[in-house]
Amino acid sequence: MRRIGDTAIAAVTVVALGSGVWLLGGTAGTHAPPQPSAAEGRPEAAEERLTAPALPPSPPTRIRIPGIRVNAPLMGLGLTKSGSLDVPPASNKNLAGWYEAGTAPGEPGTAIVAGHVDNTEGPAVFYDLGALKRGATVEVDRKDGGVAVFTVDAVEVYQARDFPDEKVYGAAKRPELRVITCGGGYSKTTGYQGNVVVFAHLTGSR
Amino acid sequence: MRRTARLLTGTALAVATAGLAAAPAFGDATGSLEVYPSTVTPGGQVTVNTKACGAGSALGDAGAVGAGTFTLAPSAHEGDAIGQFRVPPSAQPGTYEIVAKCAEGDRQVAGDLMVTLMAAHEQVQPRGSVKTGVGGALGRDPVQTAAGVSALAVAAAGGTWLLHRRARGDGI
Repeated sequence: MRRIGDTAIAAVTVVALGSGVWLLGGTAGTHAPPQPSAAEGRPEAAEERLTAPALPPSPPTRIRIPGIRVNAPLMGLGLTKSGSLDVPPASNKNLAGWYEAGTAPGEPGTAIVAGHVDNTEGPAVFYDLGALKRGATVEVDRKDGGVAVFTVDAVEVYQARDFPDEKVYGAAKRPELRVITCGGGYSKTTGYQGNVVVFAHLTGSR
Repeated sequence: MRRTARLLTGTALAVATAGLAAAPAFGDATGSLEVYPSTVTPGGQVTVNTKACGAGSALGDAGAVGAGTFTLAPSAHEGDAIGQFRVPPSAQPGTYEIVAKCAEGDRQVAGDLMVTLMAAHEQVQPRGSVKTGVGGALGRDPVQTAAGVSALAVAAAGGTWLLHRRARGDGI
C-alpha cells in the first residue's frame, strides 16, 4: 500500500517537474506573430487581377488593411546610414511609414510601406501582416483626397542575411506596393531574423 | 509727448499687422505650397497642395517650368486645395518656382520644383531587411509563469518527500 502511494507521489513529481520546465523554459504559449504559408507565394501572373490605371503622384496619409484590422497613419521614412529603410518610432504602436524619397502609392513604380510587428510592450501595427492572404485588399488614403486600392499578390518571408533587394524594392512599371514588417523566426540574441513582405498591385481607386 | 506716443503705438500696430499678414507667406504649414514630388523628370506629373486658401480654390501657375496655369480645387482632405500639372518633356534641369493664388483674397503661396534628368526614386533604393520588431509580443503570459512556478513547487515537495522516505530506509 505504501509502495503504491510512493509510486503515485513519484509520478506526480515527475509530471509536475516536466510541466514546470515546459511552462517556464520552452516556447509554449509565447505569442509569436503569424507567418505566411508557402501557399501565399506568388501565383502565375495570369491569375492576378487586372491593374487599374495609375494615379497621379500624391503623398499617402493612411493605410487600411480591413482583413487584419489595420488602420494607421503613415509618416515619411528615409534611409539609415547603412542604406536600409528607416522605421517609425517604436513607441507608437499604431503608426506605419512610407519611403518618401521613392514612389507614392498609386503612381507607377514600387511604393514601400513599413511598420513594426511589435515593440517592448507587445504587438504593434503590422503584428498580423503574416496572416494576410492573397487577394486581400490594402487601401491607402492619399493627400489629394483619393484612395488607392491594392490587391495582395503574395505574402513572403525572407531571411535578413539573404534579402532579395531587387524583388522587394526594385522598380516596377505598374503601380505596386510593398508592406513590410519583421518576421521569419526570433532569436533572443539577434531579434527577428527577417521580414514578412506583402506584394500588392493597384486594382482600383476612388 | 502724448502725440509721439500715439504715433509710436500706431506704427508698432501697423508693423505688427503687416508682420501677421506677411507671416503665412514664409512657408509655415498653413501658408506654403507643397510640391510633390519636389524632384521630377521632364514629362513627369506633379501634385501641389496648400492650406492657404481655407476651403477655397486657387489658380496655379507653373509657367516657370513651361507648364502654364492650372486649377487647385478644394478637397476633402484637411482643407487643402489640390492641383496637378505635367512638366513638359522639353523642360530643362533646374529649380523652378511654382505659384498659387487663392481665388478669394489676394494671398499667394509658392514652392520649389526641381527638374532633373534622373528620377529621385530611381537613384536610391533601400537595401536589406527592415528592423521592425524587438520581440515584445513574445513575452510570456504571467498566468503561465505562475502555473510553471507552482508546478515546480509541487515537484520540489514531491522530491523532498521521496528523499526523506529513502533516508529513513523505507525504500521505494
